[in-house]
Order: sequence, then C-alpha cells, then structure tokens
Amino acid sequence: MRLSFIRPISCCAVSSPTTLVKPQTPLFLRPPTFKTTLTDLKKWHLWAKSLASSVGSAFLNLDNGPDSNQLLRELNWLIEDAIGTPKSILEQPHKSRNGNSTVLIRTCLDELYVLWKQRVEERRPFQYVVGCEHWRDLVLSVQEGVLIPRPETELIVDLVDEAIKENEELRDGLWGDLGTGSGALAIGIARILGSKGRVIATDLSPVATAVASYNVQRYDLEEKVHVKQGSWFEPLRDNEGEFVGLVSNPPYIPSKDIGGLQAEVGRHEPRLALDGGASGMNDLIHLCDGAVSMLKPGGFFAFETNGDEQSKFLVHYIETKKQGSFSKVKMVSDFAGIQRFITGFRGR
Amino acid sequence: MTVNSLKNHPHLAGEICVTLNWQEIKELKSVISECEDDKDMQQMASEVLSEATEGEKKFQVLLLKSLLPKDDADERDCILEVRAGTGGEEASLFAMDIFKMYEKYSVKKGWKYEVLEVAESDLKGYKEAIASISGTSVYRKLKFESGIHRVQRVPVTEKAGRVHTSAVSVAILPQADQLDVKLRNEDLRIDTYRSGGSGGQHANTTNSAVRITHMPSGITVSIQDQRSQHMNKAKALKILCAKLYEIERLSNQSSRSKLRLKQIGSGDRSERIRTYNFPQGRVTDHRVGITTHSIDDVLQGDDLDAFIDALLLREEMDAIALFSST
Repeated sequence: MRLSFIRPISCCAVSSPTTLVKPQTPLFLRPPTFKTTLTDLKKWHLWAKSLASSVGSAFLNLDNGPDSNQLLRELNWLIEDAIGTPKSILEQPHKSRNGNSTVLIRTCLDELYVLWKQRVEERRPFQYVVGCEHWRDLVLSVQEGVLIPRPETELIVDLVDEAIKENEELRDGLWGDLGTGSGALAIGIARILGSKGRVIATDLSPVATAVASYNVQRYDLEEKVHVKQGSWFEPLRDNEGEFVGLVSNPPYIPSKDIGGLQAEVGRHEPRLALDGGASGMNDLIHLCDGAVSMLKPGGFFAFETNGDEQSKFLVHYIETKKQGSFSKVKMVSDFAGIQRFITGFRGR
Repeated sequence: MTVNSLKNHPHLAGEICVTLNWQEIKELKSVISECEDDKDMQQMASEVLSEATEGEKKFQVLLLKSLLPKDDADERDCILEVRAGTGGEEASLFAMDIFKMYEKYSVKKGWKYEVLEVAESDLKGYKEAIASISGTSVYRKLKFESGIHRVQRVPVTEKAGRVHTSAVSVAILPQADQLDVKLRNEDLRIDTYRSGGSGGQHANTTNSAVRITHMPSGITVSIQDQRSQHMNKAKALKILCAKLYEIERLSNQSSRSKLRLKQIGSGDRSERIRTYNFPQGRVTDHRVGITTHSIDDVLQGDDLDAFIDALLLREEMDAIALFSST
C-alpha cells in the first residue's frame, strides 16, 4: 500500500462526475478486531517514540513542519485512535498486566509500523494517517484528495453564528458552502441553523463530495445538508437569489508559492484545493462576483483568504467594482492576528 | 395559612410539622397515663411515642439545617488543579497520584471527570494537571480539598532509601459560566502562541494551542492538549471563568461566611491540610485531626470519604454554633 495514496493531481478533474468513490473509515471507527500482545505493542511504541525524537527540529527549520514534541503528541493520539481500550495501557505499571496479555487494536501491528513510518519519513499528514481531523467539536473523516480543514477556518462558523444572532431570519434560510472539501463548514453551520435552515455544499472533486456526504451522514444531517458535485455556483443555478448566506474557504495560495509549501501540504494535499492561480485570488474574485446574484438582500457572506494583502484587495475590489451591492464589508482576524476573513452583507 | 403559601416558606412547613408532632406526643403521653390498666395499650402507645420523639428530633435537625446559611456554590461542578510544589520530581509523581486519586473517587461517585490539561515532568509525573469534575454536589464535597497535601516517602529516585518530604498543592474552584462572571468578549485577547508562518492553507499542523488573556485582570490560561482549536479554546474559557468567579467570591464574601471558612481552614492554597505518610501507611487530616491507616484505600479513592464526611460535619457544626451564638 506504500505511496498508493499519492494521486496524480489531474485525477480530481471535472470529467467524470459519476465516479464512485468509497470513503475510507477513520481508524477510530474501525472495529478492534486485531490482536497483539502488550510486549509487542510496547516495542512498537518505543520504536515510534525514537523515530519521532530523531526528527528534533529538522522539519521545523526546513519548512515549518512538526518538531519532535508535536510528533510525540500525535503518537499519543494515534494510540488513542488505534487501541480498543484506550485507558493508557502503555503507561500502566507492569504489576497489573503481564507482557503476554492480549491488546485489541483497530488495525494490525504491521500496519501501525507502516503508518508511523509514513507520518515521519514521508511527512504524510497525521490526519490522513488516522483518517480524521478534530475540528471544532466535530471529528471529520478525511483522506487523500480532500483538504484537511484548518483550525483558522473554525472561526467562520463563529462569524455565521454572530450574524444569525443579529438577524434571526438567517437561521431558517438557505446557506451555501462552496468548495466544501470534507464538509466541515456545511456541517458546522447546519448544526446552528433552525429546523427550516438548509445548507447546499458544492465541490468539484468527487473524492471531496464522497467524503463530505459520508461526514454529513455520520452527523445525521442528510435532511439539512445537500452535497452537490460541480464548480462553485454551477450546481446552484436553480437557487439563484435564494441564499441567506454563503461561506467558502477556496484555494488562495498563489501558484508560485505551491512549490515551497510545507511537505505535509505540498506533497500530500490536493492542489485543486490550494492553488488559487497567479495572484491566488482567481476563485475568491469569482466568489465575490457570484455572490451578488446568489444572495438575497440582507444575506451574509464570509470568505477565507490568504491573509492581510488579499483581504485588503478584496474589500477594495468589492467597494469599487461591486459598488452598492454589499454593505458592512470588513476584514476579520484569525487568532494569529492575520486578517484572514472578509465578511459582509448583500445590500437591501 | 394555606398549603400554597406554605410552599413559599418551606422552613415554616417544618415548624408546623414539629408542632403537629408535639401535639401527637402530648396525646400519646396522656394515653399512657390514662391507660394504666391496659398494659397492651400502654405498650403500644409508648412504642409510638418513642417513634414520634425520634421523628421530632430529626425534624428539628432538618429545620435547623434548612435555616443555616449555605454556600451558593455547593451545587456547582468544579475545576480541580493539582500542582507539584517543593520536592522536584518526587512532588510531580505525587501530584500524579493525587490527581488520579480524585479521578478514582469521582468515578466511584458517578461524577464525570474530564482531564483538561497535563504538564508532564521528565519522569512522567505531573508538574501541573487540571480536570473538570461534574455531577451532584461536586463542589460541596470537594471544597475542603484545597490546600497543601504533604507526602512523606522514599522517592523512586532516592538511592540511599531516605524518606523525603514533598508537597503538592490542590485547588478546587467552583465552575462558572460567562454569565456568572459577566465576561465581555472585548475583555479577552485570544491568540495561538505559534511561531510565525502564513497559516491557513499553507500550514498543516496538529498544534491548535490557544491562549486566552483576560485583560482587566491579566489572568492568562493556555490549553494545548485537545485535538481542535475550538476545544482548546472552550476549555481555556472554562478555567478562566472558574478563576474569575473565585476571585469575585473571595472579595464578595460577607464577614460571616469568612468566619465560617476560617474555622475549617482558610481555603487558602498555602495551608497544609493533609499528610500522606507511606512508611507508616497513614493519612492525617490536620484540620479535623483524623488519621486513617489505610493509605492505599485513600489513594484508590475508597477511603477519601472518611475525611470528606468529617469535614462536612465539622462545617455543619461550626455553622450551628455560629448560628446559635448570634
């Protein structure tokens, strides 16, 4: 199975919307049907710890990747996800259990060796290794071909929540999540909407739509969230002018920067979800243009950007090129102090 | 007085019960004196009389208790903070033992014990550990655990076999929400103390640590153990609210409840409240002067009630004493 997960980027292209992609089950949801002994598991743990420690701050200095401490924390989470009875079995004093006692795990021990090697040596993102990402209060399934939702993006749900609290009409309307990826924003928003509130989530990638549908189903939201495959607004033509809100975390990295990305991102995450063209703003501009006709008067939008420079540009773009279409357009910072989002309302 | 208006005066209801009971007792006494010839009747009456007298005593105690001033935090959930004090690694190892003692105790009580943050020492002990405990009367039961817990034992790190004395501090804070402490968003600064970089799509990190600074008080809380930024933030906020609530409580306490606290112990983290002596297998609580010789049972959370019940009883007696003296 080595390297089989690295797909050529072109495979995510438009041509075959009927492609059936079977989403992978995250490690923590698989049944604990594999057996190993405590001794063997401890041996693996020691090996994995020393592999993590050998990294030191090499990746950090190279491309802002993880250092040993971070890898060791991930190792604990891998154990948490992989072991049937997670009660810190490896930490228990020797007296209570002997080395031959059986431990139930969710994948075979050989696979744990392979997974940890991939994590450290190939810089495979931890979230792909365990097949999930903890995001807000959700645990979302992710796999190669789907962007791993970022902590910064969590804030968009808070921004939507604030907008809804100010205008309760938004709670029972139609929302759109464009380029949904794993479905994170669509699911996060669906959970704060009222009984009549709905979300349509779109994505060009069949892998993303399959994974998003799986996550929607896991959170029992099939009634509230519809996942549609297609480019940006294309699958939404029937609902033009009906949206009370639009959110998106579109690709925004300028093409020239893709080569220098942190290995976890550049080598493993889908370029389709990262590359925003020469300026990085091709898709963001397309979204700002489209929002004019898609949003109802008073409707809200929140888009994530590459940060300060792009946010400033887009606010200026909306104020000059889309004069009169939007009101209260502003930039919002993430917790690192970067102007990460632009938000605003469709004029009434 | 109607039944409905009684509902608004539960202590009066108790009083009326006592009055009714008194009447019954009076009647029973006269039955006994009037039926000297009917031994059976007399016997029956005196049995009923002793029951009624017993019941009346219980009523009186309940009535008294209902009139005692209560700590309004008693029914709240709590935040437990355990910190290794003097004694280096040994103190950290004991901090872990204490932290786990409360976990086991909580499980036995059917409470929810949620670890919020653990800072490990080199030998896998705990330099600092924080948990949230929720359930029925959690704060009431645990409030007297705040203070310095001292340990005397031969540390695993000690080659010559000498007994060392180390200390661990425990703080129990009632939980509070943002409304309790009137927390305003504009008073908070939230940041991710991570090294630079462009963030967003550029970075794949599982580090979602969050630091919250409450600007008016300067209190900061950082949480990094959770797997999402949202959860780190939620936990940090929870701890911050508990800290602010405690500050507010301490400054608002009337002189009367301060006096009550004084009698059991200041609740001050710097007061030595308990000693765990391993060579002698005993645990002593210095406030109620109780010693148990089953140190293992205490650390397994089995015998902790011996102290907790004694402290609660003491609190009640102090309150009664104070009540009847005023």
